[in-house]
Amino acid sequence: MIFKIDNVKKSYKNGEVTEEILKGVNLILREGELTSLVGASGSGKSTLLTIAAGLQPASDGQITFEGKNLTSLNAEQVRKIRAHQFGFVFQFAHLVPFLTVEEQLLLMLDVSESKLKKREQKKEVDKILKLVEMDHRKHAYPSSLSGGEKQRVAIARAIIHKPKVLFADEPTASLDSKRSKDVMTLISNLTKTLNIATLIVTHDEEMLSFADHIIKMSDGQILRKV
Amino acid sequence: MNIAWKEMKKSKAKFMILGSIVFLVSLLTFMISGLANGLSQESAGLIKDLPAGQFYMTKEANQTYSMSRIDHSIQHQILSKQKDATAFSIQMGFLNDRDGKQQSVAFVTATKSKQFINVEKGEIVLDKSMEDNGIKIGDALTNNQFKGKFVVKGFVKHSKYSHASVAYISMEDFKEIYGTAEMQLIFVPEGSPEPTSSSMESFSNHQFLNTISSYKSEQMSLNMIIWFLVVISGMLFAIFFYMMNVQKIGLYGILKAIGVKTSSLFKIMWTQMVFITVIALSIAIFLSQIFTRVAPKGMPFSLTTETTVQLSIVFLIIGFIGATLSGLQIKSVQPLQAIQQGEV
Ligand SMILES: Nc1ncnc2c1ncn2[C@@H]1O[C@H](COP(=O)(O)OP(=O)(O)OP(=O)(O)O)[C@@H](O)[C@H]1O
Ligand SMILES: [Mg+2]
Repeated sequence: MIFKIDNVKKSYKNGEVTEEILKGVNLILREGELTSLVGASGSGKSTLLTIAAGLQPASDGQITFEGKNLTSLNAEQVRKIRAHQFGFVFQFAHLVPFLTVEEQLLLMLDVSESKLKKREQKKEVDKILKLVEMDHRKHAYPSSLSGGEKQRVAIARAIIHKPKVLFADEPTASLDSKRSKDVMTLISNLTKTLNIATLIVTHDEEMLSFADHIIKMSDGQILRKV
Repeated sequence: MNIAWKEMKKSKAKFMILGSIVFLVSLLTFMISGLANGLSQESAGLIKDLPAGQFYMTKEANQTYSMSRIDHSIQHQILSKQKDATAFSIQMGFLNDRDGKQQSVAFVTATKSKQFINVEKGEIVLDKSMEDNGIKIGDALTNNQFKGKFVVKGFVKHSKYSHASVAYISMEDFKEIYGTAEMQLIFVPEGSPEPTSSSMESFSNHQFLNTISSYKSEQMSLNMIIWFLVVISGMLFAIFFYMMNVQKIGLYGILKAIGVKTSSLFKIMWTQMVFITVIALSIAIFLSQIFTRVAPKGMPFSLTTETTVQLSIVFLIIGFIGATLSGLQIKSVQPLQAIQQGEV
């Protein structure tokens, strides 16, 4: 067990009324395992994922990562953990428009305060780009990449600093079914080879074959574990 | 990695527009302040070029030097004690040249001293601009209140008062034209002991300039224009950076999500702001200095490097404040916002 979500609740104030979006969620992520989160739109999947990733605070409950309770850390401490230990892939690639593919990854190494020397960093970038089969577009800017290519670069950026946990929110939503499969195969392989604990939200039934665990959410609660 | 630089390289047009606005506003400010300085030189160059010291006029004059009549005995008392001190008078008047054309001048007369040009009876020394008007050494000029003739002995550079050329004449001739033997003012340069006399009021150079009401109001309006320009440029800075930041909210959110520090985002913005401002200011300084060299002769324009440097520093500070204020929104950007907004 590397990542544990304990009775996490989240409510938003909507004017006078308070809406409870997460009603006490429990979840465990393990190294080298891919956990898929499914459920109807609005059931709270993205909310759960972003809270787990430290992108927004929970209203109640505990999130334990390597023995530390994330909910009790301050913003700077959470940022550090995000930069060093977490990787993110979202529905859109969200690459930095004015950096080349190579520079996107170098930036991530920078942010995670990589101890590698400049030359070794470049080698590492080449290695990861080969892994996602994007090494031939190393010097391209995002505007000249296709949707699937961008997403593969985004995945490369999410793992280059060797995170312990990978969060992905519908990473295949903007891709066709062939590309979706490629991206899922990639994430699933990386989870195994780099021994990452991966949490992935998906709408696509086809993608569930890649999951070690499938967790279904409904109305802010976990329905069943498969 | 130098993100600031990479972004400027990729979006050259955007940063060039910002740079040219800074350039135009700062150039305009330099030009106006050159004009203001030039005008003030024409308005009171005679006084401004004097070394630091104290000016004395009678208390009765009520801070209007033209009303001041310093008693001979008091003048003698002060001048005999202070070797470097000088008594002088200024009056506006006219000179007629050979063709009978009238030229407005400021007649100045003074006791023997280092600060003012001293001339003999019947002689006159004029500001250089009169030479440009066609008057030559040896010419004889007349004045309606003066029976004799003034023979031009020479010219001096940059001696203007109240937008007229200064004409140095002897005390006797001054007395004949204006009918007063008493001097209006005594100037004591810094370092000499200051005389004390109950009937006299003393002024520093700056204070004295401000008793000349035409000078004061002229400078006030010009300075107002300059500060107005500075404020406008500050606002332009803030608005431009604000718009650029709004465009980049999504990007900032993503960078924050992957763990970039907020302070790094501010550093990016500051780097870009300083880079653009320094380049724009350098070009503006360069062009305004060229203009100082090639400005038409009659144009009252004088831009010292000191003023330019001062204004440049003000621009840098204002740019910094403008960029930082507009950048405060970076602080409040939530990583989530960007992720939920879709593609940047
Ligand atoms: N910032 C917010 N303020 C108020 N309500 C919010 C906020 N963010 C999400 N919600 C609400 O929380 C609920 C769950 O949203 P969430 O995005 O987690 O759903 P989801 O399961 O990811 O849906 P989808 O499959 O459509 O992405 C929704 O009803 C949404 O309207
Ligand atoms: Mg969602």
